[in-house]
Amino acid sequence: MTTLNTGRKGEKMLLMGNEAIARGALEAGVNVVTGYPGTPSSEIIDRLSKADRERNLYVEWSVNEKVATEVAAAGSFAGLRSMAVMKMMGVNVASDFLMHLVMTGTRGGLVLVSAEDPGAISSLTEGESRYYSKFLEFPLLEPGGFQEAKDMTKWAFELSEKINNIVMLRTVTRISHGSGNVVLGELPETSPRAHFEFNGTILDEQTGPILTVPGPFAVNLHARQQNKLQAAANLFEDCPFNTYEGPENPELLIITSSVCHLYCIEAVELVDAPDRVGILKLGTTWPLPAKFLKKHMQRTERILIIEEVLPFLEENIQVLACQLGAEFAAKKFHGKGDGTMDKVGELNPTLVAGALSRVLDLAMETVSVDYSENINKQAVDNAPDRMLTFCPGCPHRASFWSIKRVLELNNQQGFVCGDIGCYGMGMLPCGFETVKTVHSMGSGTGLASGFGKLGQFGMDQKVLSVCGDSTFFHTVMPALANAIHHRADITLVVLDNSGTAMTGFQPHPGLTIKASGTELPALDIPSICRAMGAKVQVVNPFDVENAEKVLLKTIEDPDGVKVVVMRQICALSPEKKSKKQFEIQVDENVCIGEECGCNRLCTRVFKCPGLVWDGEKKTSKIDAVLCVGCGVCHSICPSGAIQRKEIA
Amino acid sequence: MKQTTLSMDPYNLIITGVGGQGNVLASRLIGNMLSEQGYYITIGESFGAAQRGGAVESHIRVSAQRTYSPQIPKGKAHMVVALEPTEAIRILRDYGNPGVKVLSNMRPVYSMGVICGEQSYPSTEKIKECITASSKASWFVNSTDEALKLGNPIFGNIILIGALAGTNALPLDHKSFEKALLQRMKPDKIDVNLKAFDIGKEMTSA
Amino acid sequence: MESTASNEVVRDVQQNGLCTGCGACVNLCPYFRNHRGKTIRLFECDRTWGRCYAYCPRTEVNLTNLRKKLFQADDLTMELGAFKGLYMTQAGDETVRNAAQHGGTVTALMKLALAEGIIDSAVVAGDNDQQVACPEQVDGPDQVGSYSKSKFILPPTVGKLNEALKGKAEKIGVVAVPCQAQAMAKMRVNPGPSDAGNMSKLKLVVGLFCGWAFDGSKLRELLGKELGNTAITGMDIPPSRHKCMEVSTENGMVCLPMHEIQTCVADGCGYCIDMTCEFSDISVGAARSPEGWDVDKEWNQVIVRSALGQTLMDLARDRGILNFKEVPSGNLEKLQNASMKKKRSCLAYLAEKSGREDDFIFLSSEDPLIRRIRGLE
Repeated sequence: MTTLNTGRKGEKMLLMGNEAIARGALEAGVNVVTGYPGTPSSEIIDRLSKADRERNLYVEWSVNEKVATEVAAAGSFAGLRSMAVMKMMGVNVASDFLMHLVMTGTRGGLVLVSAEDPGAISSLTEGESRYYSKFLEFPLLEPGGFQEAKDMTKWAFELSEKINNIVMLRTVTRISHGSGNVVLGELPETSPRAHFEFNGTILDEQTGPILTVPGPFAVNLHARQQNKLQAAANLFEDCPFNTYEGPENPELLIITSSVCHLYCIEAVELVDAPDRVGILKLGTTWPLPAKFLKKHMQRTERILIIEEVLPFLEENIQVLACQLGAEFAAKKFHGKGDGTMDKVGELNPTLVAGALSRVLDLAMETVSVDYSENINKQAVDNAPDRMLTFCPGCPHRASFWSIKRVLELNNQQGFVCGDIGCYGMGMLPCGFETVKTVHSMGSGTGLASGFGKLGQFGMDQKVLSVCGDSTFFHTVMPALANAIHHRADITLVVLDNSGTAMTGFQPHPGLTIKASGTELPALDIPSICRAMGAKVQVVNPFDVENAEKVLLKTIEDPDGVKVVVMRQICALSPEKKSKKQFEIQVDENVCIGEECGCNRLCTRVFKCPGLVWDGEKKTSKIDAVLCVGCGVCHSICPSGAIQRKEIA
Repeated sequence: MKQTTLSMDPYNLIITGVGGQGNVLASRLIGNMLSEQGYYITIGESFGAAQRGGAVESHIRVSAQRTYSPQIPKGKAHMVVALEPTEAIRILRDYGNPGVKVLSNMRPVYSMGVICGEQSYPSTEKIKECITASSKASWFVNSTDEALKLGNPIFGNIILIGALAGTNALPLDHKSFEKALLQRMKPDKIDVNLKAFDIGKEMTSA
Repeated sequence: MESTASNEVVRDVQQNGLCTGCGACVNLCPYFRNHRGKTIRLFECDRTWGRCYAYCPRTEVNLTNLRKKLFQADDLTMELGAFKGLYMTQAGDETVRNAAQHGGTVTALMKLALAEGIIDSAVVAGDNDQQVACPEQVDGPDQVGSYSKSKFILPPTVGKLNEALKGKAEKIGVVAVPCQAQAMAKMRVNPGPSDAGNMSKLKLVVGLFCGWAFDGSKLRELLGKELGNTAITGMDIPPSRHKCMEVSTENGMVCLPMHEIQTCVADGCGYCIDMTCEFSDISVGAARSPEGWDVDKEWNQVIVRSALGQTLMDLARDRGILNFKEVPSGNLEKLQNASMKKKRSCLAYLAEKSGREDDFIFLSSEDPLIRRIRGLE
């Protein structure tokens, strides 16, 4: 069985983009790998954590992305090749440290991987981090395929060491979560010795202390940093990841990067215009290789820029074209600027082909109107939409059930400030629409802290925030400290399901395992909250009656910050999966279904996918394939029709 | 360059289903089986948080020529394998064409709207009629039921891989499946999965 | 057909400011609950017919029909409903009297009914909250009486009855205020299919005269402002020129001016047509007499309305459970006048709310009783 860390040079594997990046890091001889989970980035560390012993790695799921970057930077400062991995929002979290780091520079190769999500398939925004490379002045690489994801990762470490600064590798969902053929390279033997050298002068990048200092010195460092960026630009002039394919003088030059390269190739096929269109693919998207671009832009007058999501490449290329203005003929640019492409959403071959057909006035083969009209109608009639929902037996459903009920009972138009995790779906019917704000990691409790101080302006609504156990450590703790210190009248509900469930059960400081599975001391959330000065209760959300009682009493206590830890392990967690606590059955003779006194509470309101409304019998029934036997529906059934039997 | 034995190049296969049905594993196994034979494979997948109870689709591009993009162009699917029958219909809306073939498991996974009685789920006959009318060829199998006979509904995806092999749409056989399994699974899981594959293959072999 | 269910209760009653928190819709289903005196719907219900609507005392009702179905025709009066006699009584047992708001008649009657087997279970005001009484179900005479001080906030008593009807008790007695008694009257006359078999378990209703009750949250806010965290042990509003509410606390008596207190009266109470709890077997209120408040506060006025009420009253007299004294002349007339005043003001408020002088929202303008009150018949 070939694995990422055993595959030999020349072997061909079908790898997920994230696996290719992980392999590239191994081939670069990476030693320190850190990150915070987030789709679509998580598999990179998940895979590397399984290689840590054989490949002499230190792998950690850090508490948040800023700390992850700092931990990785420490590796670099001590001379080791290091990598920090995150999704695009994580770069925002890390950006404060990054702004300083790019000034001081790095020693061992340091690569920041930002996995982005155009189209926000698994994210709350499609905001992107490419702009950081320009704003913070460090190099940006974007792999255009699976082989390149591996090769470019390895190259990123070399580049980082050549310029002594951090390099960002930006991948997107379709690469990270796509798979393709990859030919493996050599795995080097590394025998690193970590040591932080600081006895040299402050200006010696290899031996001095690594400091940012105010005043003219900072300006000097800034100038040094810009020289590094120029050095990178020079290297990019002759870089194997920047390629041109197409006629010598095409009618239209596409400039593209990332997975869009594959869409462009296919789009040219779809409109059958290989003789009219050339494709210039950039793997190095900041700083731009000016001479290389000039050479290729001279091929034609018309340029179409294809990228996701914002016109980063497009605008930088247009600035470059202006700078080159006197040296070559004026260009006609197509892209997001002239409305040929949207500035939102992800792309696909069809969208790019559509753009080509408009720009070049070409026909595009499509499915017949008859066929598409018919199947459209069939899909509307026969493929019911699938709204997102909590899994069968999800503790969050039970928790929000109680939260919703106590907010209604309290009758003060209370609401929940949400956070990032599966429980964000508390905004949907599956969470009884209790969550009314959702922003970035930790911001639910920060917002609650603010709402909780508006009593002096007449606000009398009850304010709750929710966060997961992993999010608690990520950024909720500072917000909680703020709320406690300022005596905000709020209740923080920690939905503790024992892991970073949404992204695949990565560990966090509240658990006793680290990325590679070895034992570590766990930090106890209730103790932390108590020590910080909050009143703390711990309840089991599956004990609906008690949870509701405790929550109601808690939110009606007007005195400062209250914390309720609702603790129940995720239904999908490896420990729990396929271990039913109860065998559940609906007694059809007792179920009153639609009658007054129930009105299908379980299937109409509680809505666990494990329960199904049988329209013919007019009773509820259990879907034995989906039910995980949590027993909560038994607790809420008003007529005792849902029966449970403990499984020994 | 590999001599192609594909009916189309690239061959565009979509595996569709609902979160938790084993879609991702199925696409990786098929990808491995074909990659092993020297084909260029690209798999495009969307999974993660958004798929809690939502539809999950995998696009598999098979080519003897080069790497294709992880998204199949609209209306260009050659074969749709559905772990859930209404998902087949949903996929055909975007990727269907008069020449498409469809292999579908008939076990429904009800959407939230159906579970709570707000929407109705189409009858098996209606689903079959709808798919048949919008495809060149179709196979309807009960892979979940067969999987339950093997002891766990999760084998439904493996049975469908077998059924796909039985259609001869792609060069997939018992041996390459075994090889792909060995790459991904513990030895004690191999036999039952091979059995599931064979059961599936039997279902569609003419 | 127009829907008459949960959504209409929310729209026509709760959002229209008519809800009194009587509890008629509570415990019928998982949707309505009462918390701290307020009835709340937890989740939407989309039924088109519901017991919540059918039983609510603030949904359409023909009082004449209700009266006719529950009482002897020749007992019915416009002013006081069914009327068999007016009495002035107090509990014979001094400890009962001392624990009670006034004369202890209600406590004594409930104890008697339980002891005599007229009922085997009683739903009475309980007390597990500082200010809001929670109804309790008790099944022995010794348990009655510990909660007999008025808090002027309605406990959701009918909700407790709804629960009791599903239980083992076969003969249930309820202490109720007028809106609650009216709800129970609607339940008895027109029970939902699932209740039809159980409704005969409701044997006895002992009514309380009631002019209004507080909105729990408003009162809580006011008392919190005035008294802080001091525990409140009782409240009363003696008839006096000072117009104040006496609040007994662990630190002694505090008087709060009525104009402040009045801002806390529940919105729904103004729309009540019944002061003397007409849909009861026997109803009890504070006594009024020329002897003055110091004497009167030890006594009750009692209206007997049904045969069962008469039986109980006679038993109480025979067993010496109640002390009796002569009703001062003119008391009946005063009671009738007060009751009529309440009826007329109710109709006036309802007409004001509807914006039409002959639209009384849930009371039918065709109801002969309403026409008589308005002087049209």
